Amino acid sequence: MVGTLIPQEVSSIGENHFSLIYIFPPMRFRNLQSILSWELKNHSVVPTHYTLWYTIMSKPEDMKVVKDCINITRSFCDLTHVWVNTTDMYVSRVVGFREKAELVSCMGSFFLESDRPLDPPEFEIVSFTNHISVNVKFQSVDPRILNEEELQFYLAFIEEHEGNSVKRHQPQITGNITENFNYVIDKLIPNTNYCVSVYFEPKDPRKINRSPLKCTLFQPRRESESSESATIGGIITLFLITAVFISTVMILKRIGYICLRNDFPKVLNFRKLSIWVFPELPPLEKVATVEVIHINRKKKVWNYNYDDESDVENEAAPCVNSGGYTKHGLMGRLCPASTTSASLEDCSDHSAEEPYLPEPKGDAETPMAPGPGPWQSEGTSGGYQTRGTLQQDPTSEEDSDSTERSEGRIVFNVNLNSVCVRALEDDKDSEVTLMSPSRPEETVVLEDLNETESSLLVASEERTHLPFTDPSMECLRPQDAPSDQSDTSESDVDMGDGYIVRQVNLKKFN
Amino acid sequence: MTYRCLLQMVLLLCFSTTALSMNYSLLRFQQRKSVAVCQKLLRQLPSTPQHCLEVRMDFQVPEEIKQAQQFRKEDAVLVIYEMLQQIFSILTRDFSSTGWSETIIEDLLVELHGQMNHLEPIQKEIMLKKNCTTGDMTVLHLKKYYFNLGQYLKSMEYNSCAWTVVRVQMLMNFSFLKSLTGYLHD
Repeated sequence: MVGTLIPQEVSSIGENHFSLIYIFPPMRFRNLQSILSWELKNHSVVPTHYTLWYTIMSKPEDMKVVKDCINITRSFCDLTHVWVNTTDMYVSRVVGFREKAELVSCMGSFFLESDRPLDPPEFEIVSFTNHISVNVKFQSVDPRILNEEELQFYLAFIEEHEGNSVKRHQPQITGNITENFNYVIDKLIPNTNYCVSVYFEPKDPRKINRSPLKCTLFQPRRESESSESATIGGIITLFLITAVFISTVMILKRIGYICLRNDFPKVLNFRKLSIWVFPELPPLEKVATVEVIHINRKKKVWNYNYDDESDVENEAAPCVNSGGYTKHGLMGRLCPASTTSASLEDCSDHSAEEPYLPEPKGDAETPMAPGPGPWQSEGTSGGYQTRGTLQQDPTSEEDSDSTERSEGRIVFNVNLNSVCVRALEDDKDSEVTLMSPSRPEETVVLEDLNETESSLLVASEERTHLPFTDPSMECLRPQDAPSDQSDTSESDVDMGDGYIVRQVNLKKFN
Repeated sequence: MTYRCLLQMVLLLCFSTTALSMNYSLLRFQQRKSVAVCQKLLRQLPSTPQHCLEVRMDFQVPEEIKQAQQFRKEDAVLVIYEMLQQIFSILTRDFSSTGWSETIIEDLLVELHGQMNHLEPIQKEIMLKKNCTTGDMTVLHLKKYYFNLGQYLKSMEYNSCAWTVVRVQMLMNFSFLKSLTGYLHD
């Protein structure tokens, strides 16, 4: 059997019609041969000889005569060494002559590369107990024609003929094309003759080139137990596949390739956008100032005696205001028998209007805010009695404030560095100079009484303090103390015994 | 931590290498199948070349394409993509004088477009990092060849014989494409 290539169109002249056929000889010759043959359909007039011409479509060339096919009597021409370009289209012309008269002419075009069918390979069949084995020999296929990639697009079919019924098998061709390929046909009916044909299905289904049939009688000897073994093998295979899969997953999980745990502490949790946008500041530490104040209090005996002459014990109860100052008050009324050089105030109001005095310290630098203090509120109307009380802190290191209770009088030495003293006096002539024995470099001069009463002496950080002289301080006798606070007089109050209460305005001089 | 990252990198590299190699194999398979389909569709278009011998023309097919010289796979991709693109452009012209089936032409265009989509990612990647290679000169020759085809059709006013001659060229092109596909190996 030979492969044939039908030209795309055949045209002829004359009454007779040609059938031009391009023939491929069997591949047993292992040579790529191209043979063009022709035959007459109408045999009324038969040419005596033929001549073959050809040309190509890719270039405008003239028709060329095939030298081996001039005035030939055969009806075929070997073009193996003429049509060598498989990627070009050849146009052939066959002219039949009788004598020298041209009787018939036939033309056709051929594109060899895509139109050439594949010859079937050689094969053998072997009958077994329950199947037939088909062994296809690919070595018979010309490697110039067929390669592994092309074979993928040439479907190999094995036809199984049982009587008149044909069953087609399409084996999967893998591996090297030069090797043999073995295919098994099973599920056969016993005592039945089976015929097998092998061929390649080309791109054009019209040009299938089937191999000759090879037949065998299928006679199985015994029933096989392959089905059970196949089932067991399938189960084992499935089990192995599952085991491999599970072990792979476990290994990947073990090495941390999958299912990574992210147990990050909360501080490393950056998923909250608010944290990035609005970073939370650490909460401020609450700072509270704590002062330990040691107060020695004398037991106060309330005798319910409102006599003016009653003695009021001094109370040294330093109070700490919110400004951080420690009040040192010299409370109580000093009896005339025990007059002091410090000024006294109306004791009845001192508790409510004690001035803020700086805490006495070794390096007393506690600043006092200048401005109106509790004194101010009281001293708006000219001079008035000193409201502040000097309360001595018994725990003070500085022995600046010391009292001497001598017989008949009480002397207070006040370190004005540690106190805030305000003295109000309207008398212009009155002038008090205060001197501090401890810090001579810092002096404050009392100015005219016309200075505003709101000015206070400020114990600033520059260590200014007031010098203070005793003579300006006079004692206010209790009996002479005005009951009404408003009865503050800017003038001196003669207390008798030579003591005068003076209220002076102090101004700090830098 | 470092060893864990190293293992992941090795695995990723192996998989990526395998994926890239599979890409060229798959591309070769797709290309061959597409060429076969296109040749089958072209043969379905009726024509009589023997009646158009007078209007034949030499369009100067690049010699490196005709003789199938050795191509690198990157150059083969560029050449194949260019050829598919140009054939697509030719087949979108006026073929009304031929009587050809529009369905067949549309199927051809669809097949060509699909194959270009398969090639485009690799073609772009090659274009980004390519140096001047042999493929560039071949592409230039191909551009001239397809320009000649277009001008021929235009000069012949898109008549039937002109399209017959061009159809023959298309069949030849697909034969060239088939051989070029063989260079898409790993």
